Amino acid sequence: MTMTRGLRKFVLTAHVTFTVGWLGAVAGFLALAVAGLTSQDVQIVRAAYLAMELTARFVIVPLSLAPLLTGPVLSLGTPWGLFRHYWILVKLLITILSTIFLQVHLQPIRYLSSVAAEASLSSADLRLQIQMVVAASAGLLALLVATTLAVYKPRGMTPYGWRKQHEQRTESLAEDAAI
Amino acid sequence: MSQTNLGPDRESPTSTPRWVKVLGIVAIVLILLFVILHLTGNGIGCPPPGGLHTPPGCPANTPSGDAGDTPFVTLVDTPPVEHGVQPT
Repeated sequence: MTMTRGLRKFVLTAHVTFTVGWLGAVAGFLALAVAGLTSQDVQIVRAAYLAMELTARFVIVPLSLAPLLTGPVLSLGTPWGLFRHYWILVKLLITILSTIFLQVHLQPIRYLSSVAAEASLSSADLRLQIQMVVAASAGLLALLVATTLAVYKPRGMTPYGWRKQHEQRTESLAEDAAI
Repeated sequence: MSQTNLGPDRESPTSTPRWVKVLGIVAIVLILLFVILHLTGNGIGCPPPGGLHTPPGCPANTPSGDAGDTPFVTLVDTPPVEHGVQPT
């Protein structure tokens, strides 16, 4: 199934917007996590964790789920396919794993936010604070790899892609011979 | 020279590109690191025992176990206080 040019452009625009927006939101989240960890100002720490919870819930989570829809739709609606090229497959895996990783981290984010709203964070919370910085850095790195793959599109076809390409060429040759 | 236009076809269908292998190794190392951290008690989600707060879903510091939803968990045993009882 191949999409029309107009629909393909629309889905591509949505996909780029969601993925790059996700990258930017995680970068902002990392800045807040670093501020929450390093700042000596109680108000800044409190504001950082409250903002992190809001950013995660209302920006990062929706932006992480949307590419899981637009990505497969875009690849299945074009000759690229979803399982034919390694770079598309790797990008899909990065998106799925990053989304799961994010969902796992929602609980500690909510926890830090609720503690910051009620009182000052204690030394027992330091591990979670460091965890937020590490997780945001890892997420940012993973999304940068996915973006790089999308731009460079490195060569490499999966066995399935080779088989499909061979089938299409055989059909094409058969049609040429018939003419 | 009929093969000049084939490009990627010169690769064997069974060979995996080097960049995929490198990324795969990095991913396996990261997953192993994650599992090891989790098994050694440094995983994601719950703060170490001894803190004043327990996030929802984590083992509570109190024996009742249902205090996880409350923002504050008291670690010190205190006698129960009866509310609403007026001395006569």
